[in-house]
Amino acid sequence: MNVAEDHPATATPAPGEAGLVEPRDFVSAEPFTFESGQTLPGFALRYETYGRLNAAGDNAVLICHALSGDHHCAGRHSPADKKPGWWNNLIGPGKAVDTDKFFVLCANVPGGCQGSTGPSSPDPATGRPYGIAFPFVTIRDMVRAQKRWLDALGVKRLFALLGGSMGGMQALQFGIEYPGFCARLLPMASTARESAQAIAFNEVGRQAIMQDPAWNGGNYPKDGGPRVGLAIARMMAHITYVSDASMDRKFGRKKKDGATGDAYTFDVQFEVESYLKHQGESFINRFDANSYLYITRAIDHFDLEAAYGSLEQAFTRVEAETLVLGFTSDWLFPPGQSRAIAQALLRAGKRASYAELDTDLGHDSFLLESPQLYELVRGFLA
Amino acid sequence: MIKPAVKRTVDMQILADWVEPRSRVLDLGCGRGALLDSLVQSKDIFAVGVDLEFDKIAACVQHGVTAYQGDMLEFMRTFPDGHFDRVICSRTLEEVADPAAVIAEALRVGRAVTVGFVNHGYWKNRLDVLLHGRKPRNDVYTSEWFESRPSNPVSVADFEHFCAAKGYRLVRRALLRGDWRRPCAFAPNFFAGYALYDLAK
Repeated sequence: MNVAEDHPATATPAPGEAGLVEPRDFVSAEPFTFESGQTLPGFALRYETYGRLNAAGDNAVLICHALSGDHHCAGRHSPADKKPGWWNNLIGPGKAVDTDKFFVLCANVPGGCQGSTGPSSPDPATGRPYGIAFPFVTIRDMVRAQKRWLDALGVKRLFALLGGSMGGMQALQFGIEYPGFCARLLPMASTARESAQAIAFNEVGRQAIMQDPAWNGGNYPKDGGPRVGLAIARMMAHITYVSDASMDRKFGRKKKDGATGDAYTFDVQFEVESYLKHQGESFINRFDANSYLYITRAIDHFDLEAAYGSLEQAFTRVEAETLVLGFTSDWLFPPGQSRAIAQALLRAGKRASYAELDTDLGHDSFLLESPQLYELVRGFLA
Repeated sequence: MIKPAVKRTVDMQILADWVEPRSRVLDLGCGRGALLDSLVQSKDIFAVGVDLEFDKIAACVQHGVTAYQGDMLEFMRTFPDGHFDRVICSRTLEEVADPAAVIAEALRVGRAVTVGFVNHGYWKNRLDVLLHGRKPRNDVYTSEWFESRPSNPVSVADFEHFCAAKGYRLVRRALLRGDWRRPCAFAPNFFAGYALYDLAK
């Protein structure tokens, strides 16, 4: 029996804002078998929703998050909350993903660490965190788990499914796995299979974590663990999410305030060093190192060509109309990989458009505040 | 005088006759998708457009027209032979860098290729150059040379010579007078304002 725990949020949203939101938990008490063959007796997914599901159950828009993202994609958790959800610029009343029109949902993926069952969750058998005894997670597992949750919420059909980066992988997998369930797919800055370079970056991140003695084979206390390794992994990964041009514009060679005049030290001297250090430090307070290992592995293993024989073969089942969006300066999942998705869908006889936004912000461009991006999304959902 | 906006719909009407219902059609240089949109409405085709500009693709998407942003040659190269029933190249050929390569590739991926262009040999265009010695500017060529995209003006004679040289078959042609309405039966390289061809290998 699946139980959707309900904690309705009661607050009048400010115009244009999703307003106050409360995360909820979906708990499935039915066993779940991962692609690896490993099983869990059940699992929880933390999620948020914005707007209302209509009577027909067909106005739902699913948002799928990227590697370090979570279920909190719009609104605020308290009036004092400084930062809204990660896609708040796109989602809200009257925005490109209009919550007056759509019932918008987003769940933290299984294997994550923001409330969904993952390696930091207690193993019922031992009472201690699973650690690396947690089953290996794939993009397909993420999709299957979310489908169970959507079914429990009474969502009959997704009007659209949007996701950036790993979220785009989920969108594609959703369209393949549950063809009749998704009407529109919008993967952004995504890929059907990572290049060696992207796998290489993920591996450096994993090694930074696993080479940290505090990782201890994945066994560490809740607030401990490989904090240094995880911070370094995040610092390096962050560089791959932006671009040479955008970093240069933001930091250039600016010196950090209070940096000593003495150049002959290894203390933080440049703004960019200080920024990355901050990125690393804030990350370790919200992310679990083992989750980082699991999710990067899921991303690396995702390969629709290998899984289905060819990309066209993978897409033969798709019924959705797809809009693939690439970004010129994305050097992690370069636009050519997005183009390949659209081309293969078209070769398979599916309706697929491809748009490429000229930005210099790199992989994270999908989070960009761009009227062009908003208009495109609004038009696709019209 | 007929407004350019009206002229833009001329080839839509002719193409609506030429395009087979429910066929798979690729439009090279689809712009905002007006032609494909009308063909989807009238012929229930499976449409795909290609264009270089983001805003054009966004407009297509908004109208429910499937469109791909990118280089048309690179795009066509990703498809197997005969994937499309028809490839349309309407008022695009003049602006491509390598027209021969575009037509050759279009004939590979399309069973039929439709080319439409403004006849540069039309007498008014000739007169314009003769009298003013400047780039023709009229209903069709509305912009100054310094504001327009690079263009290879092509005439009816030029195009038919090209097809003969390449051995392409002219399956069908529609030649329109200066008003882009009435058919032009006499000396088309001089009197036709607009030309449409259906090619096959």
